[in-house]
Amino acid sequence: MGGRKETFFLPPNVLPMKRFLSKRFRREIEGLLFVFPYLLLWGTFVLWPLGYGIYLSLFDWHPIRGSKFVGLANYVALFKDVRFLNALSNSFKFAAMVVPLVSIVAFLFALLLWGWKGNRHLSSFAQAVFFFPYLLTVSVIAIAWRWLLDPDFGFVTFIFKYFRIPAPTFLSDPFWALPAVALATVWWLSGYRMVVFQAALGDIPQELFEVAILDGAHLNQMLFRVILPLMKPAILFSLVLTTISAFRTFGQVLMMTEGGPGRATEVLALYIYWNAFEYFRIGRAAAAGVVMLFVTLLLTLLGVKILGFRSELY
Amino acid sequence: MKKFLGVLVGIAVSWWLASFGQVVEIEFNTLFHEADAKAMEDIVNLFQSLHPEIKVRLVQGRWAQYYAELRLSVIAGNPPQLGICHVNRLVEMVDYLTPLDASPIGNLLELGGIDPALFPEATWKAGQMDGHQYLIPLDTHGWGLWYNKDIFAAAGLDPDKPPQTYDEFVAACEAIKKAGFYAFHPAEDALPRKLRRAWEIFYYQMGGELFDPAFTHATFNNEKGLKALEFLVNIFNAYGWNVVGGNGYAQFTAGKLGMLFAGNWFYPTVKQSGVNFGYAPVPNLFGIPYTWGASHQLCIPLQPAGTSREVYLAAMKLARFITENAYLWTMTGGHIAANSKALEDPRLLASEYWKESGHILNDMIQQGLVRFPINHPRGSELEKAIETYIELAVVGQISPAEALAKAEAECNRILRGG
Repeated sequence: MGGRKETFFLPPNVLPMKRFLSKRFRREIEGLLFVFPYLLLWGTFVLWPLGYGIYLSLFDWHPIRGSKFVGLANYVALFKDVRFLNALSNSFKFAAMVVPLVSIVAFLFALLLWGWKGNRHLSSFAQAVFFFPYLLTVSVIAIAWRWLLDPDFGFVTFIFKYFRIPAPTFLSDPFWALPAVALATVWWLSGYRMVVFQAALGDIPQELFEVAILDGAHLNQMLFRVILPLMKPAILFSLVLTTISAFRTFGQVLMMTEGGPGRATEVLALYIYWNAFEYFRIGRAAAAGVVMLFVTLLLTLLGVKILGFRSELY
Repeated sequence: MKKFLGVLVGIAVSWWLASFGQVVEIEFNTLFHEADAKAMEDIVNLFQSLHPEIKVRLVQGRWAQYYAELRLSVIAGNPPQLGICHVNRLVEMVDYLTPLDASPIGNLLELGGIDPALFPEATWKAGQMDGHQYLIPLDTHGWGLWYNKDIFAAAGLDPDKPPQTYDEFVAACEAIKKAGFYAFHPAEDALPRKLRRAWEIFYYQMGGELFDPAFTHATFNNEKGLKALEFLVNIFNAYGWNVVGGNGYAQFTAGKLGMLFAGNWFYPTVKQSGVNFGYAPVPNLFGIPYTWGASHQLCIPLQPAGTSREVYLAAMKLARFITENAYLWTMTGGHIAANSKALEDPRLLASEYWKESGHILNDMIQQGLVRFPINHPRGSELEKAIETYIELAVVGQISPAEALAKAEAECNRILRGG
């Protein structure tokens, strides 16, 4: 009966097509059609610019006077440029400070909120306070921290002076400048990672804790044998996200130090910015962007290799 | 058929008649912000009220990315019809600008009624390259000495007699320091480029030059360059006149700083702060009382083929109007108008700004004491190289001699095409 109905309603040219396409193939086509709008946007705004960026990195780009194909010359020039090597090294240093610190701080916040979940008011208030910095734009973060660390009027300087400790000139001292920017970044990003960890903590079945307590597990054992192994996907997600953020760091460095003092805080993204928008050397900037892409990709794969995708739960 | 033809003729006639009242739309992009942006907005609004046949879309405030955006808009075939170009950026931007005396519709300077005689010769000529005029001068701006009269009085100095020689200057700094204030800040908010400008002032005052005339190599790593840099470093260190990382703007407006080298754009801020301030020329510390400065000029970015004559003429009409009414620019923005007629405007001469500081900066300009930045296709990179090492010397990371040697090596590498 149903078959007759179908025959009645469908246009005649559909039937041969339907017989021709297997059920499985049709299902795949359906799936593709569903993701097509996303693929279209992703291709237009991610894949195409990425490909074009790689293409540009092979040129001495000057659309008015005429661009010249230079092969890998931009890459060779990059690795001969002490300024680029310094920026690459600064990016690694910055990531080495920010990634673990953000993860630890966010994890501690999440644990704290998890411990306070019995007290709804306190927990909600603390959650709002911890998450708040993430709602601010990078320019607000940078200006606020510039003021906090100001050698004349800064609150941090005031605290040092109050305890009669000579305050370092954080943003003018090559030793302190990068850690100071890293600190501002940790303050900014930890709230969001905290939410990720909070969700992962909430996913751990209560029975596992009860069993662990019955078995006489200490807090340490609980943390390292139960909580952390079960949170692996969340930790990996946070590490990958924070590593990418750390390597792409730009706004806070530009606004807090402009890459100084000297080049103590000139990170990769800032190097790319100077080359692209100040010196208009688009080819070299694109090459540096490609290097940045591969560095973050390698670090992400390394994270996946070490931690794996799966938690102990699934 | 006759009816159809009649309709066609009717449409054509209506279109022709409508074109008489057509509004020409142009875009004017600037890199101005704060008081400067407000001043330019006032001028454009005035223009709009007098010329409703031209609709101006004013886009302002993107100082950092301005030149990149201007270039990219030309490449994309969607440039603004009028823009701003610092005079020292001409050499970097020339490929992206319309030669005003040889545009696709003819000599725009003549068509727009721009009279070169109204502008200082040097400023006008600074807008020329390869035998063509690319820029129309809008202003000259520069640094002067801002001082706190109350601090002067507290330090036993004459508030109406700011220091003008090296000895007077050092004596004033020491007296202010003794009175418990920051004595002097030579570089606005101490950003790297500001520290470089301060060093350039000291170095130029000794008669130094940064590069040879043909830009084949750097010429600042010498006794004069070193003396200038040591002086700058000592201000923040040995002399104790200020602290490393100190923000001169903030210190001055908080009433904690005696003297500050800063641009004319500081006027609205200092006025608002309520500090009892005075303004003087940069003192003659080392021989010639040079100061740092630059010039904003108007330009027509390279337009796509087929841009109509009306659009070019509308842009020129606006450019002429801006230069002729630049008294507003000076009164609100603080930059000294390049058009001599605008400078004689009685409203400007009667203004508080002119009396309190504008006329002093204008005197420095008229005496040729404002040194413009270097003019080279890789000028931004050269300046960045210099300021990087100057800042490292100021914060005590490397010695002044080492800083100059490193800056020289990097500049020479850049000049060799590295």
